[in-house]
Amino acid sequence: MSRIVSTRLVKRFGAENTVARTLMYLAVGFAVFVSFLLALPEPTPPVTAETLENPPPEVSFAIVGAKVFDGESFLPNQDVWVENGRIHRIGRELDVPTDLARVDGRGRTLLPGLIDGHVHTFYGTLSDAARFGVTTVLDQFTDPRLAASKRAARDTLAPGNEADLFSAGMLATANGGHGTQFGIPVEPLSGPDDASAWVRARKAEGSDWIKIIREDGSTVGRDIPTLDQDTVGALIAAAHEEDLLAVLHVSTLEHALEAVALGADGFMHVWRDAIIDEVQAARIAAAGVFVVPTLSVTASFGENSMAPELLEAAGGAPLSPMQRQTLASTFSNSSGETTSSVALENVRRLREAGVRLLAGTDAPNPGTAFGLSMHGELRLLQRAGLSTAEALSAATSTGAEAFGIDDRGRISEGRIADLILVDGDLESDLSLSTRILAVWKDGYPIDRYRLDQERQQTTPAPSAAPETTVIADFENGVRANFGFGWQVTSDQFQGGSSTARLSAENAVLRVEGEVAAGLAFSWAGAIYFPNAQPMQPVDFSDRDTLRFRARGDGRTYHVMLFGADAGASAPPSVPFTTSAQWSEIEIPLARFPTATPGLIAGLAFVAQAPPLGSFLFEIDDVEIR
Amino acid sequence: MQATNAGAPRPPLSRRASIYVLEARAEFLTLARMPAFTVPTLLFPLMFYAFFGVVMKFSPSAPTYLLATYGVFGLMGPSLYGFGVGFANARDSGQLLLKQTTPMPVAAYLAARIATALVFGMAIVISLFLLGAYAADVTLYRWQWFALAGIVLASVIPFCALGLAIGAWVKAQSAVAIVNIVYLPMAFLSGLWMPIALLPSFLQKLAIVFPAYHQAQLTLKVINMDQGGSAGGHVLIIGIFTVIFLVIAAAGFRRVSQR
Repeated sequence: MSRIVSTRLVKRFGAENTVARTLMYLAVGFAVFVSFLLALPEPTPPVTAETLENPPPEVSFAIVGAKVFDGESFLPNQDVWVENGRIHRIGRELDVPTDLARVDGRGRTLLPGLIDGHVHTFYGTLSDAARFGVTTVLDQFTDPRLAASKRAARDTLAPGNEADLFSAGMLATANGGHGTQFGIPVEPLSGPDDASAWVRARKAEGSDWIKIIREDGSTVGRDIPTLDQDTVGALIAAAHEEDLLAVLHVSTLEHALEAVALGADGFMHVWRDAIIDEVQAARIAAAGVFVVPTLSVTASFGENSMAPELLEAAGGAPLSPMQRQTLASTFSNSSGETTSSVALENVRRLREAGVRLLAGTDAPNPGTAFGLSMHGELRLLQRAGLSTAEALSAATSTGAEAFGIDDRGRISEGRIADLILVDGDLESDLSLSTRILAVWKDGYPIDRYRLDQERQQTTPAPSAAPETTVIADFENGVRANFGFGWQVTSDQFQGGSSTARLSAENAVLRVEGEVAAGLAFSWAGAIYFPNAQPMQPVDFSDRDTLRFRARGDGRTYHVMLFGADAGASAPPSVPFTTSAQWSEIEIPLARFPTATPGLIAGLAFVAQAPPLGSFLFEIDDVEIR
Repeated sequence: MQATNAGAPRPPLSRRASIYVLEARAEFLTLARMPAFTVPTLLFPLMFYAFFGVVMKFSPSAPTYLLATYGVFGLMGPSLYGFGVGFANARDSGQLLLKQTTPMPVAAYLAARIATALVFGMAIVISLFLLGAYAADVTLYRWQWFALAGIVLASVIPFCALGLAIGAWVKAQSAVAIVNIVYLPMAFLSGLWMPIALLPSFLQKLAIVFPAYHQAQLTLKVINMDQGGSAGGHVLIIGIFTVIFLVIAAAGFRRVSQR
């Protein structure tokens, strides 16, 4: 058939003519096809730092035609005018000066910077948070010195790459209780009589509120010393006396209800042991107590980690080594599927009862990452029955108001211009929250794409090593001649359950404890931080040897050296053996291969598995020569 | 086929080029004048896209996702029908035998059908993209529009090979039915009609056995909506499928030639 057709054509036109015409049609057709593709609509280019032409200090611009989530509800087609780092005006078709820099908001959603209601801050984490739109974190336990060092930044409107930090500082717990295992200094309380002085000391240190631990380990099948009811009550009363909020870590419904009766202001987790009934939920609502359910950490507790979903959604902004590491890690003592469903059901019932809910992640616990996990928490809150607007309120205005931080959390006149612009209509699909086009902190755009540059900015230059070569001789207890000093270190921070205790007896450092099964890599021991800030490097490049004396129970121990890039990879370690006799141990620093030789951020002396079980060793006269 | 052509004198290059062009033109006109072919081929992907991507629009990203997958689906039509049904018809009607007696190289016959599928493919791409861009507000970067069009058009390679494998073995009367049995379920199970993530997980796992799945994933990679496999892996698997189909087709030819 086709042959006949073509033969006829050849007869009528001549073959060459037909070939030429066919080729011409093809060429024209192809040209039309290509020009059609060239004419197809392109997205408006993403907002970058360069879009804003007015340099500091006058941070003024307008976002026009955006859908705005104002902290409570969605408003279509709004203009938001930012003047000197604060929201100047918001409304439809504002009379914005023509010379003001403009950002096209059409087809996009503008929302207040997110407020993570539960984090534990370390160096570098605040910029990790900001890159993903979390412009304020409410820290529920960190080193008070770290919190103090960040206070100036939150009180000024200045360019920076970090989230603002509000913090409880040190937490209130029993001797050996939850919170003492992380190597961060804690002053435990022994009874209600300690409460008043303890709270005053926190206020003097700069704690923004008081965080109290009521945790006996029962939900994870462990027996942990905990503050008793009377001490918790005394702490709450003392906090209120000092005009501070008192928030609690509880894991059981019973402890939560007990704390409500004692006047607690908020809970930093939702309990996972039982489902609350209507009467109990109404009691919490009536007391005005807020709850930060931290469904993110509960999800990874119950092996439903949001990590895979979040890694997929992360988009173009880079994850720091710490974010990758914490997202990838898991709890060793999983409590199974049920805990997350119990937590979700509790949240559903609390919402129905009208209890104030705040979004919080408990980053950097296993399965979470600073910043990114807030977007997972939004999704989890929605799965617990919150509407899109309710989930976003929990992540913005509710947190600001619950903790009395009234200058943020909403897009309204006079508030700080902490803003996120996302691509698309967030109201119709909450999961678009990770499609971030721009984040502004105090009206300044945050560079979300340059992790390395930012790390250089936030990591101070290494301190010079002091004159003395002797780190510690333990003549005056567990002390060092310079630096942050000695801390317990163990796998507990990664979810393990190994323990260690440090003491100085007869002018030597005694390290004892137990390496417990749990993680693939279990360890416990002592760590020394040479810099005034933990895990910040000191330049020892003019030294070449680590020397110390050691004796012990005969097992093999390890020295781990943390370099300038601590956290990016496993630290190099060198073994040493102990016996009942003291022995001199010398290790050339060259045996610890790190990225930048000579820089030391931490030295750990640890027992590693295998074997499991208890250990005891002593070290003395630690020197870097 | 090779055997019958072997003794014929080899025409000069310009004549051979003309043969290719004329055969392709003839093939195109044949199909273009068959409404039973053109209407479903051009309208099916458009109709489905208009329904699922524009009217129902079950998620904000659906129009973009479906633009990629209905593009691949659109190319399956002309490729599978052109080769599967067309080849079986040509063989059973004796037309193939007639062509084998002419000096036309077998490659011209294949090239004509591939070129025809590509021309129909471009028409489908244009109409789908028009609908996506102006009825469903899809916006993509220029490189994405081009890459999407390019990868969609490139799917003629595995699908023509599959069509050829079918056409070489089945009878003309059953060719349409067989093509439909392959075409429609494979499109659905590869996530071309609705996002693969909406299918039950065992069906999602099954999808890797379909070349259309890999072609779709490759296309979705352009708009960052794929399931995360490596592009090289998909290309490799598509290549393996294509070779297998060609081997099956060659076996079918041998069977015909020996008859």
